[in-house]
Amino acid sequence: MTRIEAIIQPSRFESVKKALQEMGVQGMTVCEVRGHGRQKGHTETYRGREYEVDLLPKIKLEMILPYNLVDGAVQTILRTAKTGKIGDGKIFLSQVDEAIRIRDEERGEGAL
Amino acid sequence: MPISSIGSLRDYYAEESAKIQSEFTATSNGRKAIAERAALVDNIIVELCREHLVADGSRVDKLCLVALGGYGRRALYPHSDVDLLFLSDQAAHARYRGVTRAISLPLWDLRLKLSPLNRTLADCDKLHGDNPEFNISLLDSRFLAGDAQLFAQLHDDVLPRLIHRERHGLLSNLAELNGKRHEREGNTIFHLEPNLKNSPGGLRDYHVAYWVARITHLRHFLTAEPDSIWPPKLREEISQAFDFLAAARCFLHYRQGRDDNVLTYELQAEAAAAGIGVKHLQNIAPADWMRLYFRHARTIYGLSTQLLDEAQPPTSWLRGWYKDWRTRRSQSNYTIANGRLSLRDPAVLRDGGQLLNLFVFLAGNGLQLSRETENQIGEILQRPAVPIPNLWGRFRQLLVSPRAADALRAMHSVGVLVSIFPEFAAIDSLVIRDFYHQYTVDAHSFRAIENIHRLRQSKAEWEQPFARTFSELEQPELLFFSLLFHDVGKGMSLEDHPQGSLQAVENVFPRLGLRQEEADTIRFLIANHLEMSANLMRRDIFDPATVRAFAEKVGSPERLKLLCLFTYADIRAVNPDALTPWKAESLWQLYVSTANYMGRSLDEERFHAQSTDMQFVDRIMPLLRPPVTEAQLSTFLEGLPRRYVLAHTPEEIATHFRMSRQLNDNPVQSQIEIRGHLYVLTLLAIDRPFLFAGISGTLAAWGMNIWKAEAFANAAGIVVDTFYFTDGYKTLELNPPEADRLQKNIQEVLSGALSLETLMRGRSGSHSRRPPKVGVPTEIRFDDSSSSHSTLMEIITQDRAGLLYHLSAAVANTGCNIEVALIDTEGQRAVDAFYLTIGGAKLGPGVQEALRHALLSEEQA
Repeated sequence: MTRIEAIIQPSRFESVKKALQEMGVQGMTVCEVRGHGRQKGHTETYRGREYEVDLLPKIKLEMILPYNLVDGAVQTILRTAKTGKIGDGKIFLSQVDEAIRIRDEERGEGAL
Repeated sequence: MPISSIGSLRDYYAEESAKIQSEFTATSNGRKAIAERAALVDNIIVELCREHLVADGSRVDKLCLVALGGYGRRALYPHSDVDLLFLSDQAAHARYRGVTRAISLPLWDLRLKLSPLNRTLADCDKLHGDNPEFNISLLDSRFLAGDAQLFAQLHDDVLPRLIHRERHGLLSNLAELNGKRHEREGNTIFHLEPNLKNSPGGLRDYHVAYWVARITHLRHFLTAEPDSIWPPKLREEISQAFDFLAAARCFLHYRQGRDDNVLTYELQAEAAAAGIGVKHLQNIAPADWMRLYFRHARTIYGLSTQLLDEAQPPTSWLRGWYKDWRTRRSQSNYTIANGRLSLRDPAVLRDGGQLLNLFVFLAGNGLQLSRETENQIGEILQRPAVPIPNLWGRFRQLLVSPRAADALRAMHSVGVLVSIFPEFAAIDSLVIRDFYHQYTVDAHSFRAIENIHRLRQSKAEWEQPFARTFSELEQPELLFFSLLFHDVGKGMSLEDHPQGSLQAVENVFPRLGLRQEEADTIRFLIANHLEMSANLMRRDIFDPATVRAFAEKVGSPERLKLLCLFTYADIRAVNPDALTPWKAESLWQLYVSTANYMGRSLDEERFHAQSTDMQFVDRIMPLLRPPVTEAQLSTFLEGLPRRYVLAHTPEEIATHFRMSRQLNDNPVQSQIEIRGHLYVLTLLAIDRPFLFAGISGTLAAWGMNIWKAEAFANAAGIVVDTFYFTDGYKTLELNPPEADRLQKNIQEVLSGALSLETLMRGRSGSHSRRPPKVGVPTEIRFDDSSSSHSTLMEIITQDRAGLLYHLSAAVANTGCNIEVALIDTEGQRAVDAFYLTIGGAKLGPGVQEALRHALLSEEQA
């Protein structure tokens, strides 16, 4: 099993979610996050007050997938989240040792 | 029913229980099912008593079995607890210990959830601060078996005396328990998965109302019929609500096989399909079934809170008297008790205007209606509706009052809102059945209005930008009215709900008599109320193209403020967690970017007949009489900032065009009108030095306080200036012809016939400078990048009388020309932007420094 964490532009979220669901991803965790990579923020002034915009809004998707879905999911995220501009985000993959469904204690890929 | 063994008792109980369940399944009559189950348990307990008590006649003396709580009320749900009191007198107490066990064991063997309780009469005769539930459960006490005289002592002597003696204590315990329960349940009837017993509006609230009625009126305690204690006019409504809730709770117990009262999402669908609580068990959609639930819950919630409030003693006699005296001073028609309003003379309600005034008063004073007044209003609404004079004036006042949402809820609850606006009926208790929308559509709309009013008291840092923006609104009533109607379309069979809401307000407008631009603003807000959310979620708000397109769609800064606040209130009213700080920050970011774009693109974005979308010209042309050619209109518009076109209605632009055609006859054309609480001076003239300073100086000399101003010029050098001001000394209000003299003065000052200094000297004595309440440090910023040919100067400073004159005079004295000006006031802060040129070019560093020096010197003068 692999954990996919994807940090994407909020404006791409609906398209990414829909495409992932269509390719068979059944569950995901979504968080509203702020952060920055190389795309640094800026300061906005409005009516004499300064507003720091150094952490930009992003959406973080997290899903644990069986190996056979991982490549497809990554390709789907790349295809649907990309605008070609700085700030499109990142995808991180990592190994997951075990999954356990709390309700019936089923383990492994069946618990996903 | 002879009981030969526990086995036959179990068979009897199972058989009878199955019959009750089977009848419930066939009829969905919850009221009957719970009464029959209570009777079944009665039979068993009486039989057990016969076996264990009557066998030794002497043992019956001074002991009786009493049903308490729901069982006492003959309302025993399929899996509810059976509360059983073994009541004895002090002397016999020890003698009967074994009886409790002997009777309880077979009941436990039947798997009844029996809670036996041994108490003496003396125990029942005191207030239990540590166990208020016991006192309250005694209110439902019912004789089952044993010493009938002992029970009569309890019911007819001990309890009435206790109620009489400890009335306030009982009520206060009840209020505290009720408050804690409501708090645990989020103080709202609106839950996606309500608890039929404990949620506000659930069965526990019904019981609370019942107990309050019995405590406050001893005769209700002594009569056993529950429904007879309700006011006759409400009896049917309350009875229907109880029947629905009882049926739904029975359904849940049978379906779950335990005392589980949570109406889960899945079970809502099952109950709706089975037609639980619905006439003829009709299968209906889950959303419609939940609509019924919320309507009934609203009835029960209103009843319990009202009875409880009315029963509470005033916190202080003196304070109660003072509040009543204060109310009488302001409104002789009403009396107030415990925050609830009653009418001195109900006949005043026959006047529709007085009826609406009543709710305006509630909105302004944070009061609720007494039950009696609700009934009186109910009677009035039976008569044919009569038109309400000055409907918008009155309703406007209600909407801007701090407790408007509560007043609207009260209006809706008694039927007045739908009586005035029948269009609102479409969303009465309408459920949007998903995991996102927590409230019914009507409740969502009231909550959205409440969210805006709450900004006044908000201390949360992240809300401050929204709170400031709210305080700057010119006509907040337009925002509130739009929020009230924005989702009415959800109750219509249209795919696009804003379109339905627009249809509804179009019906309403003729009754309100709004001005054209007011109606346009409401139309704009309703039609575009999802626009800002859509941009937040589906567009890159840091992309200048997104900001530009959004700014074009919104048009003017005032509409941007309204839409931003609308979006804030709307999202926040979906569920308590819907507006995350993340979303709020993004919303504010989009607002700031758009507002800055509007302000800083002014000089660049101009009308050019060759390249501009001419659609809006088509809307102005029919308004021009006598007709003119498109080329003539385009010549007037050529070179004006796009902001001018977006910020003015076609009617206003047509008026400006007509005024421009008369400049040959009189080189200064002006008019003054009233819009809301502001006077608006529109002036057209050929551009000249000191023009802006001359107008602002004359207004200052007359004691007018300028709130906002705009100055735009077209390619032909015709300046269109608009000044929004208040008349603090009521000069124009008390003497309307003075408006003509003010305009004459302006013309004389601009033509040089009258010296502004003379005019200002003549007035200065009467308009002395007041010390500021909050100090605002002056900030001056020059920006050469926003425009290709002019320098943007932004100045933020302490607002004061004559400020704009002094600023614009300093600009003119430095030899600078005002290309565009945008003047605004935010409380005590003046926020002004001037696009300046000198000799047709940007200001060099030297001129910028000289101007900064001149402005700061003026401030210190």
